[in-house]
Amino acid sequence: MSSFNPQDWITPAFIRLRQSGFQLGVGELLAARQAVEGKFGESREELAETLKILWCHSLSQQIRFDDIWKSLQVDSPSKQPEKKPQKEPQPETHQAVVEEPPEISSPPPQETVTELKPETELSSLPIRAPFTPVETEDTSVLQAYYPISRRLMSYIWRYLRRPIGDGPLNVLDINVTIEQTTQQGFYLAPVYRRQERNNAHLLLLLDQNGSMNPFHRFTRDLVETALYESDLQPEKVDVFYFHNVPAASIYKDLYLTEPITLLTVLAACDHQTSILIVSDAGAARGYRDLKRIRATTSFLFKLKQYSSLIAWLNPMPEERWIGSSAEIIANLVPMFQMDNNGLSNAIDIVRGQPLKHLH
Amino acid sequence: MTTSEKLEFTNNPKLRSENRHQDSPTHPEPYVVSNELKKAVNLAIYLRRPLLLEGDAGCGKTRLASAVAYELGFPLYRWDVRSTTKAQDGLYEYDAILRLHDVQTQKVEEQLPADEIESDEDEDDERLKRNPANARHYRKFGALGKAFKLKDCPAVVLIDEIDKADLDFPNDLLTVLDEPWEFKIKETGETIRATYPRKDAEDDVIDCRPIVIITSNKEKGNLPAPFLRRCLYHYLEFPNDAKLLTKIVKKHYQIREETPPPSALVENAIECFLKVWEKDGLFKKPGTSEFLDWLKALHTFEPKPYDADLLKTDNLLPYRELLFKLQQDWKKYAKAS
Repeated sequence: MSSFNPQDWITPAFIRLRQSGFQLGVGELLAARQAVEGKFGESREELAETLKILWCHSLSQQIRFDDIWKSLQVDSPSKQPEKKPQKEPQPETHQAVVEEPPEISSPPPQETVTELKPETELSSLPIRAPFTPVETEDTSVLQAYYPISRRLMSYIWRYLRRPIGDGPLNVLDINVTIEQTTQQGFYLAPVYRRQERNNAHLLLLLDQNGSMNPFHRFTRDLVETALYESDLQPEKVDVFYFHNVPAASIYKDLYLTEPITLLTVLAACDHQTSILIVSDAGAARGYRDLKRIRATTSFLFKLKQYSSLIAWLNPMPEERWIGSSAEIIANLVPMFQMDNNGLSNAIDIVRGQPLKHLH
Repeated sequence: MTTSEKLEFTNNPKLRSENRHQDSPTHPEPYVVSNELKKAVNLAIYLRRPLLLEGDAGCGKTRLASAVAYELGFPLYRWDVRSTTKAQDGLYEYDAILRLHDVQTQKVEEQLPADEIESDEDEDDERLKRNPANARHYRKFGALGKAFKLKDCPAVVLIDEIDKADLDFPNDLLTVLDEPWEFKIKETGETIRATYPRKDAEDDVIDCRPIVIITSNKEKGNLPAPFLRRCLYHYLEFPNDAKLLTKIVKKHYQIREETPPPSALVENAIECFLKVWEKDGLFKKPGTSEFLDWLKALHTFEPKPYDADLLKTDNLLPYRELLFKLQQDWKKYAKAS
């Protein structure tokens, strides 16, 4: 290991980690290089430790790093024989094979396949192996379909605001106080402003059960962030649930046991009420049920009599709307995919300031 | 100390340098550091990137900063983050009301000439004889601001419980903790810039960029990705190993210069504690600090130390109130197991 050159390892590791979804920038690559120059990566283990500290930002990432680092091991022993004369590789690979068995026990089975290949063909395969993580990538996407994080939700909710200065008169306005004092030449009394409150009224209508089951955690997060982690006043957030299509009555609780008539709910709304509907609109299962579309249309028509600030969030990706009833409903009401962009566009609509390029 | 010399944290309080800063901690910190953590600290010092520490409560996240500052003889500026903290609070605060007040009172009192008090090096002096004609007398530096002003050694800045703050807070911090390491005070028009060797400068200056240690316990979800990207990360785990705990206890009493509890008691206490800790179904696991408190109670709360053998045979843990902080945990161990 005397020929260990840490700089050679940094870039492949960086690329691999980025492919695996680590959020790293050029700044982090440069920092790693700088750290190596500062003698923080003299051996393989030391370098791995350094990179772990620098590039991993949670426990789970550190664990994933270990696996990726192990698979990178395939990369370099194969590089070395390439540089050396043709005769030597055979003992080299045998060594590699001898070293492998204890490691094989822990990493996932795909890696054993890539590692065993060198036995038959030496030259090119091992180099390519780390850069074709198609299978692994696919499963990781499936495991974590995470269109939007809770943090982003609470962040985006903040844009939904209608500040009205109708609170108690208790906010000291320092600038105006000083200005007034300098104008008068003497100080009389501090100037107070009224406390501002967010007066936005939000009506959240959530599709529950059935095809929405996989998305319950997102709808739950959406409700929780709107109620407790936003600038909205909790009493100004109304949350109601329905199943498939909002009918004459919707439900106050997520178990759909406490019905309330739609008219009662709408009676509390005015033209400034922001209405956000969360439902897959049949896109999850690809339904195109005329009866449901008709029911949804009449429901939307009723809503529009009260407020025009209506947006629809669809947890299914946009490609899946085509052919289902979601495609038709999307023509009636602004419908967005439930990801970062979609939610912020939806909030723009319901706060009455849609972006121009969308219309 | 020259710039070429590499700063290194070795976790040996005896290596404390002689020419220490006046704001450096005065008491050594009993702290046992793992090799990985030591490396993380040294990497943070070398790269001057913030070190983010995560881990369960009571595992010594906060204490690390003071151990580092003590050994290196650097000042420690602690910044406790609250839910209302803004990023600017750590840089400086400007007291406009006090200035207004001074303008008013000076009409009555005799006035000091404005230019006589130009030197604003020592902040405490300046506060006593301030002149409203000089806006500089009304700004007060926060933890990071003080660290940026140092000219002869870097400071250790501890930003405690960063996750408590507003969502934007970490991102606001980032702009300050990066090139060109400066911030503006808009009330006085000053630009405060940290001293560190720049590429174009010829002078051999000491790198005085602050060593930032940030703690978080993920109470309110994850920190933003751009911020995380810039931080070094270390997860502090509870030392659930009898040897490590013994080491911690030893070091603790050695540095505090107190008489340690009898070794039989320490041994049995550790065994007993780890048994509880490893048991499933604890809602909140006690941390290192709870353990040390508990040991101290066993040792000195009563005139005579708690009997080590009794600890082993006891059905009920003594001083449970130090270990269990939740009703469910309490109830579980109130019953004789």
